[in-house]
Amino acid sequence: MPELGRAALVVTLALALYAVVAGAYAARNRKRRLAHSAQNALIAAFGSTIIASGVLVVALIRNDFSFVYAAAHTSRDLPTGYTISAFWGGQEGSLLLWLLILTGYAAIAVLLNRRSARDLIAWVVPVLGLVAAFFAFLVVFRASPFVTQVAPLDGRGLNPSLQNPYMMAHPPLLYLGYVGLTVPFAFAIGALLARRADERWIVATRRWTLVAWTALGIGQLLGAHWAYEEVGWGGYYAWDPVENAALMPWLAATAFLHSVMIQEKRGMLKVWNVLLVLLAFSLSLFGTFLTRSGIISSIHAFTEGDLGPWFLGFICLVVGGSLALVLSRLPLLRAQTRLESLVSREATFLYNNLLFVALTLTILWGVTYPILHEAVYGEQRILGPGYYNFFLRAFGLPLLLLMGIGPLVAWRRASLRSLAASFAWPAGAAVATGVLLLALGAGSSIPGLVAYTFSAFVLTSILYEFTRGTRARRALSGGSWLRAFSDLVARNRRRYGGYVVHAAVVLFAIGVAGSSAYDTVAEGRLTRGETLAVGDYRLTYVSLEETAGSNATELRAKVDVTRNGTSLGTLEAGKNAYTAEQQVSNEVGIRSDLVRGEDLFLIAEQLDPDGAVYFRAFVKPLVNLIWLAGLVFLLGSLVTLWPDAREQRRLALRYARAGISARS
Amino acid sequence: MTLALALGALLAAVCVVAVALPYLRDPLAAEDTLEEPGELERRQLELGEIRDRALASLKELELDHRTGKVSDDDYRTLVGPLRREASEALRALEPQAAQAHSRVRADRPG
Amino acid sequence: MARKRSPARLVIALSVAAVLAVFLLYTSIVGGGTPMIQPSELLGRTEVVSLAGHVVGSPRGDAHAGGLRFQLRDIRGKGQGRVTVLYEGSVPDLFRPGRDVVVDGQLRNGTFVAIPGSLITKCPSKYAPDTDKSTT
Repeated sequence: MPELGRAALVVTLALALYAVVAGAYAARNRKRRLAHSAQNALIAAFGSTIIASGVLVVALIRNDFSFVYAAAHTSRDLPTGYTISAFWGGQEGSLLLWLLILTGYAAIAVLLNRRSARDLIAWVVPVLGLVAAFFAFLVVFRASPFVTQVAPLDGRGLNPSLQNPYMMAHPPLLYLGYVGLTVPFAFAIGALLARRADERWIVATRRWTLVAWTALGIGQLLGAHWAYEEVGWGGYYAWDPVENAALMPWLAATAFLHSVMIQEKRGMLKVWNVLLVLLAFSLSLFGTFLTRSGIISSIHAFTEGDLGPWFLGFICLVVGGSLALVLSRLPLLRAQTRLESLVSREATFLYNNLLFVALTLTILWGVTYPILHEAVYGEQRILGPGYYNFFLRAFGLPLLLLMGIGPLVAWRRASLRSLAASFAWPAGAAVATGVLLLALGAGSSIPGLVAYTFSAFVLTSILYEFTRGTRARRALSGGSWLRAFSDLVARNRRRYGGYVVHAAVVLFAIGVAGSSAYDTVAEGRLTRGETLAVGDYRLTYVSLEETAGSNATELRAKVDVTRNGTSLGTLEAGKNAYTAEQQVSNEVGIRSDLVRGEDLFLIAEQLDPDGAVYFRAFVKPLVNLIWLAGLVFLLGSLVTLWPDAREQRRLALRYARAGISARS
Repeated sequence: MTLALALGALLAAVCVVAVALPYLRDPLAAEDTLEEPGELERRQLELGEIRDRALASLKELELDHRTGKVSDDDYRTLVGPLRREASEALRALEPQAAQAHSRVRADRPG
Repeated sequence: MARKRSPARLVIALSVAAVLAVFLLYTSIVGGGTPMIQPSELLGRTEVVSLAGHVVGSPRGDAHAGGLRFQLRDIRGKGQGRVTVLYEGSVPDLFRPGRDVVVDGQLRNGTFVAIPGSLITKCPSKYAPDTDKSTT
């Protein structure tokens, strides 16, 4: 069956190229049927990519080791779930996943918009086709999942680090994010190509961007959680280039999400918005490039393949072409309104944009510095976590504060008196929190204290917004508090959904500050019966046990945990030795205290032959807020995404009135 | 192997049909022009956006005033100009709307 | 506040200047990163570097008691030189002869004395990170 897979991918490539050429010609020369035909080509490309993907999945499940890819990433004793996830466990399969999601998104975008935004879609199709053609080219000619061999008896198995639920979900979610950013990008470029200066492209892609951004955010959080639990060094983010590869497009997309609100409300920042979506999309391509080229020293690098130059070339094409297009359409994008005051919500959004871009570019500099330095001086130089943490604080803390300030400032112009009135409660809460925490000893970390104080400010301002809104709603239409609250949120989904997301970010910031600025660590070698003290806890080493799992031998050191004399049960930490893959993995023990929100984190670093174990233990305060923040984030996103019938009708009317979709 | 070839050929055939569909359905199309918004439509869009923005700003100002974010004084200063903006935008759209409506009616088949 | 020109441009210009100033301040105080070199390039260098090499021979000692000693050679076989590394701290599970590693430290009296906990092992072929960092 590999021939079918190969053939299907060639068909995808052909269809994508057709979509580019025919689509561009049709859009330029206003040919209705040809444009329609190009759209069909994109939809059909999704179909043929599904078939190719199906061939790969079947080969994996059937343990068909004549497929080089199956032999390299699965083995006979691998549980089925992980066998399926091996689809994206390697270079070729992950590129195919990219292509699958891309063609899927393209097909949906075309189907949803082909009637209502006909002239816009005509130009969007060639852009989507171009990106699809690139990835199809890679999987057909440079990294095919369908290379065959004489089948060995058993496969090499999936890397043990990937054998857990987080690593199953992490790549698909990230890809839903990365690829998702292609759609708003394509619409932005399509609008420019069609010489449109209105916000149709934003309206059409608002939900896409939100979904992609949420997926990218959750995907990263899952990755961090995996790093925390499975890799187990006590942290969750190491500023490794591959981690940054996902963070950068997310930051750019966050700036974009906020900035488009300004265009919608005031008709400003049109050029910013196109540039931001270009930045987000290019960074997601760049991120994919980073993880595959081996050009940057990273422990996460997929492989030292030769796809680097291709990606780099495509990124240059995308960035160069887009910038040239923006330049030529600059007169069209002139703003209709001006920024009236430096103290207005528009202005805070502008500061927001600037800070996000600054942070993103700082990270980008940190990631590319080694190669740039090598190109100039012949030697690589690495910028470590110190660099990143400094700038995260320099730009991140003001952003945190801005999250609280923004909603309190009025549009157009805010008088200082109304500002002072709005700021009173949140500022008061922040100062009170700061003083209290200082008294409790939080002064040991200034950035931590600042983060906590700012967080108090933001949380109070969000709470204030909700209570003020609910009270006003209730004054208007009576009813219970609960009814008023749900009405308020239902009528202003984007605003209050946004507040929930901001609350999630604050929880995240508190969790990060707590677990990194205020954690405790202790280590030592223990023989049976000896105790290690860390923070309030005392850990006594009890026993070492060995069990045989389905594909690994499991060694666990058991430890008794007490705190202030009370027994808190046992904790286990140790190692797994995987037979097929010939690897050892670290298995940490985590005890989450949900009341305090802290984690007791235990690593059995070294298991000596004489039964002694070298332990390393952390107390990580408030770290569980980080994972909770993920759930709140998801909730807020859902609220914001929820369709608003009234809004849909108004927009449909606006575009129908203009006579664009006169014929159906 | 032959099964794979047959399926591959079938796939290619289906795709060719999909791509050719617009031409198969409408071989002698009377009109093959892709519509694009003309001057009138673009102006309509622009005015529509301005109107929606003005109306939304008014609605948000009301909300902000009711929830206490905007003081009475600020509200009085801001509401006048906003209302004027909105009514100007609505007025600007009226003659355009009438024109567009007649065009749409003329366009409608049979 | 009536302004002829939009204050936005001023804000952007000032912000860019501010960001650059912060950036330059940081780099002038902290410096421009740690050099990443191969064992063959280590000769004569006494500053703190990131050494990237291929593990050869058999490691001796205990990283948690007196230090682990192992030898590194160039990853891409540029030179024949070998460097002995003395390391204390967490040892990643993937660490063994035949793997590529990165470790920070300084050359002292012919031995590369590593900064505790800075040993990172690269995964052999597929994507799987393995980090063991004492500093979060």
